[in-house]
Amino acid sequence: MSVKTFAAIDIGSYELAMKIFEVSKVRGMREIDHVRHGIDMGTETYTKGKLSHERVGELCRVLREFADIMKSYQVEDYVAYGTSAIRESENRSILLNQIALRTGIQINVLSNSEQRFLDYKSIAFQGEGFLKIIESGTAILDIGGGSIQISLFDNDTLVSTQNMKLGVLRIQEHLNQLGVSIRHYDRLVEEMLAPQMNVYKKLYLKDRQIKSIIIVDDYISTLVKHKMNDGVANGFVDKKKMEYFLEICHTKTLTELAKALDTPEENMPHLFIALKLVKSIMDDMGAEQLWVPGVTLCDGIAYEYAEKNKIITSTHDFEKDIVACAQNISKRYRGSKKRSETLEKIALTIFDSMKKVHGLGRRERLLLQISTILHDCGKYISMVNLGECSYSIIMATEIIGLSHMEREIVANVVKYNHLEFDYDEESGSLSTLDEDSYLKIAKLTAILRMANGLDRTHKQKFRNVKIALKEDELFITVDTEADITLEKGLFGARADFFQEVYHVRPVIRKKRIP
Amino acid sequence: MSKAGYENPENYSNRELSWLLFNKRVLSEARDKNNPLFERLKFLSITASNLDEFFMVRVASLKDMVNAGYTKPDIAGMTPTEQLLALNEATHDLVDKQYLVYNRSIIPQLKTNGLRVVAHHEDLTEKEAAYVDEYYEENVYPVLTPMAVDSSRPFPLIRNKTLNIGALVRKKDGKGELEFATVQVPSVLSRIVEIHTKNPSGNTQEKAVILLEEVIERNIHKLFLNYDIVCAHPFRIMRNADLSIEEDEAEDLLKEIEKQLKKRQWGQAIRLEVEEGIDKKLLKILVEDLHVRQEDIYRIDGPLDLTFLMKMYGLPGFDHLKEKAYAGPQPVPELPADCNIFEQIRKEDLLLFHPYESFGPVVEFIRQAAGDPDVLAIKQTLYRVSGNSPIIAALAQAAENGKQVSVLVELKARFDEENNIVWAKKLEKAGCHVIYGLVGLKTHSKITLVVRREEDGIRRYVHLGTGNYNDATAKLYTDVGLFTCASYIGEDATAVFNMLSGYSEPLSWNKLSLAPLWLKDRFLFLIGREKENALAGKEGHIIAKINSLCDKDVIEALYEAGAAGVKIELIIRGICCLKTGLPGIGENITVRSIVGNFLEHSRIFYFENGGKPEYYCASADWMPRNLERRVEIMFPIDRPELQKKLMTILQMQLRDTVKAHILTPSGAYEKVDKRGKGYFNSQLEFCNMAVQAAKKQELLVNSRVFIPEMHHE
Repeated sequence: MSVKTFAAIDIGSYELAMKIFEVSKVRGMREIDHVRHGIDMGTETYTKGKLSHERVGELCRVLREFADIMKSYQVEDYVAYGTSAIRESENRSILLNQIALRTGIQINVLSNSEQRFLDYKSIAFQGEGFLKIIESGTAILDIGGGSIQISLFDNDTLVSTQNMKLGVLRIQEHLNQLGVSIRHYDRLVEEMLAPQMNVYKKLYLKDRQIKSIIIVDDYISTLVKHKMNDGVANGFVDKKKMEYFLEICHTKTLTELAKALDTPEENMPHLFIALKLVKSIMDDMGAEQLWVPGVTLCDGIAYEYAEKNKIITSTHDFEKDIVACAQNISKRYRGSKKRSETLEKIALTIFDSMKKVHGLGRRERLLLQISTILHDCGKYISMVNLGECSYSIIMATEIIGLSHMEREIVANVVKYNHLEFDYDEESGSLSTLDEDSYLKIAKLTAILRMANGLDRTHKQKFRNVKIALKEDELFITVDTEADITLEKGLFGARADFFQEVYHVRPVIRKKRIP
Repeated sequence: MSKAGYENPENYSNRELSWLLFNKRVLSEARDKNNPLFERLKFLSITASNLDEFFMVRVASLKDMVNAGYTKPDIAGMTPTEQLLALNEATHDLVDKQYLVYNRSIIPQLKTNGLRVVAHHEDLTEKEAAYVDEYYEENVYPVLTPMAVDSSRPFPLIRNKTLNIGALVRKKDGKGELEFATVQVPSVLSRIVEIHTKNPSGNTQEKAVILLEEVIERNIHKLFLNYDIVCAHPFRIMRNADLSIEEDEAEDLLKEIEKQLKKRQWGQAIRLEVEEGIDKKLLKILVEDLHVRQEDIYRIDGPLDLTFLMKMYGLPGFDHLKEKAYAGPQPVPELPADCNIFEQIRKEDLLLFHPYESFGPVVEFIRQAAGDPDVLAIKQTLYRVSGNSPIIAALAQAAENGKQVSVLVELKARFDEENNIVWAKKLEKAGCHVIYGLVGLKTHSKITLVVRREEDGIRRYVHLGTGNYNDATAKLYTDVGLFTCASYIGEDATAVFNMLSGYSEPLSWNKLSLAPLWLKDRFLFLIGREKENALAGKEGHIIAKINSLCDKDVIEALYEAGAAGVKIELIIRGICCLKTGLPGIGENITVRSIVGNFLEHSRIFYFENGGKPEYYCASADWMPRNLERRVEIMFPIDRPELQKKLMTILQMQLRDTVKAHILTPSGAYEKVDKRGKGYFNSQLEFCNMAVQAAKKQELLVNSRVFIPEMHHE
């Protein structure tokens, strides 16, 4: 039987959810069960820094039940991810260990960008509908408990993503502290959002035309599925309908509203905030319609799993998104596109010809590619402290699709392209990383340095380069008439590091012109 | 007419009075000479036990309201005090009618048919008397506990619903005061005492019986040896001793009662039944000591507590006086014995109509699931199950076989609590996950989910019903049940059980509608849609077959739809607070009630929907308690063949001329005028149909001609 049963668990800031899927090559993904338990972990983490004893108890109890449910479906594999409520808790390692011991469920923590990427993946896996919508200007608005995330598409590629700490729970927490009634939410949410949106518009949105906004959240999705969707196919909502809904929210009492929308009354403030956020952002961007595909993080987790295990493939190229994001960042910091392209070409050629030696995979190749794209972004700030500045920029910029660790690898590769490699594994700047990552950084840095050295003069003399590995030597054959004295001269030190890492000596050769 | 027009309480009937009308319809079956004599005994007995329950639950509840000073009027605009007043009159009238039937037709008829019921011990022949006295000495006397009252001994506790004999006694030695004495007629002994004597008249056919209280009365002097018995009469009381507050009542009432808890008179006697002609002094003592109001005294012209008639039904030797026309439950053609039920359900959805079709497959469904190695989980809601339930046994077996078994056991099911706890514990011991009901809600839905791992992934098999998973009542109640493995129902069923386990509601439902969350709105929507269609000039048509209708919002919606021209045919067994023949509606709304050999219990709904009819079945009636305080499920029937089956059921019931009563605009129920319509007993016809279908299948199986399969699944 080629059907696999898989469970995806999402430990969110206000809900624990588990979806059971059947995954097979023939039938794709099939949702079997969806269990949700409302639990407000966000408020405690955001205000006190950690979860209370009782909350942890509840969390463990429900997770144990989840484990039982998994057992009853004979689930073969599962992935459990914690998001901001776990991520932001001070004692998260202790917490996760305790949960693992008490429930047997191993939770991994998602960085914000990983989480958003999974959400994004689950949207992209909607297939046709998604491909069609991103043909024209599209933004994804991902509303969570702690923060919201806005991602922009250019043509059909995701080019930027920004996080704002304006999650539904967080906003409500603020409003609670102000002690205002829900009647005033409208204005206050607007006021909290406006300054951030102004900056966002100036820096990121610029003159992009956004026609559609794709919504990922829990409240509006429920609403759309239940009520807004009569006559509207597949979760599309236009501006008029949005206005109508906000209007209803203004004219009805909470109780009436909860009844009319089939939503528990205590969720109404959240729904209201979410609606208000969406409406304001819709107005700010001048978007005409919303698409609410109703996907959840659990879907994303499952797609990731199915993709990783080569059970299904997406029609959308996610690596292209990551590359496009990196290019966009480079552009923002006035990186040289031409030079990046040369570097990329050389570096990847070296990488490919060294496959047997470095033993790295496709993902690391992508990291190398991104490193070449971002190799000089720090120049924007300081031409002297290029390494440090690049590192800081990369670490502070979200690249959707990269995990935190991957981002750190890229940042370090770029950094040590310019700086002396820090070998100190005990107390050096790389000492916080695990050995695997440390080695990846070393290996990728060695390649990037080589490539950088070959293009020292930025004249793209080494654009046409042939590289061949012969035993302990890497022959780099350049097809150029230009003078490469400088490159050859500066090559030594870089070659030493390369040899140190790979035990392979690079040798430059100039192709004889007949 | 404007909407406001129908809000007027005048347009609604009081539910208690409507219930009494239902009991009257049952009584009319006892009176009906077309019914076999012993069936009539049964019906009469049912009216008595019905009335007892009515007092304990409904009248007690009204008394609570009055005691709590609650004055909110009901749907018909009557305050609790007014309701009690009206009920009192109607109940007295009903009781009078009961005994009229008993004395005028049942007893003489029994005698004609060879069963002599000796009404008074004074009527016994010498020989009979001797036999009775001996019976008393040997069997009765040892279990009696006589109690006398005097200044040193307080008035004894008279237990709820028990039959007692009260007596006035006087010390033998003189002119002492009259004293009150009482003795409970022991419930451990049979109320009916058969008198086994050789009949001197040579008529060996005749059987004679006497009631236990007469036997005791005859010998009561033996209990109070030092006393003279001045008089002795049976009496019976009903107390307001129900500790739980009725779920039907408004929440504000609950608060009110909580506040006034002290005012509530625990154990207050709310009905006193005495023999007609009871000694005045004796009655006075009872009334004073039991604090009974005058209007709550029922003077009975005959034996108290007619439920003994059910026992009489069981007397051997009278089978020829019992109903034979109705065949027993028939095998379901699509589910032959020894078939693999899952395989059959995979072929097509199946709709079973009990009790005409056997309930066996439902039990078999769970039994097969329990033993099937591919089954991963079984989940079920249980409301009332039979004493030795094969379903419970199968569930326990499944758990022992390592399947995940979750059972929601409703402990709040009235009168069944103790029984439920016992087997719930049994299930838990076997390893089932048992949920003991939901806080604040009664789980009334009937749903079973079997999760099976098959070649191409997980498949869910669902059974949804209108009746309880009770193999005993399934032989007496009419219910429908659906077997399906449609994925959209399976997904919903999973979501139902997730909710029952305390998880959040699903983001959306495919096909099922649940109370208390969405069901009422769904009904209002469906009724409203018919109205809109009628207003738009399309045909509007609703047929609903339910047990009770007393939800005001639903009735109002029906009125509006009826006024808009929707044809509404209601088949309502019991309570109906809707009135027919209102101005502006006229004959658009008709109500009929079928009270027959089987207890009508299924809930079936038909909506015309502008030419694309929709069919539903549900566990819920149109009562506020069903729609607002219970977990109920309504499920659609989508397959055309099954829709046809449902339509046949509805149409045959609408055609019934034998067991149907029509609600007239005056508020009374009248039997159908048979002129020009012929004799049509729907329940009997259902039986015949089931028999024929089963026979056809049997012929098919036993045929010696091989029938080639033309299709391969």
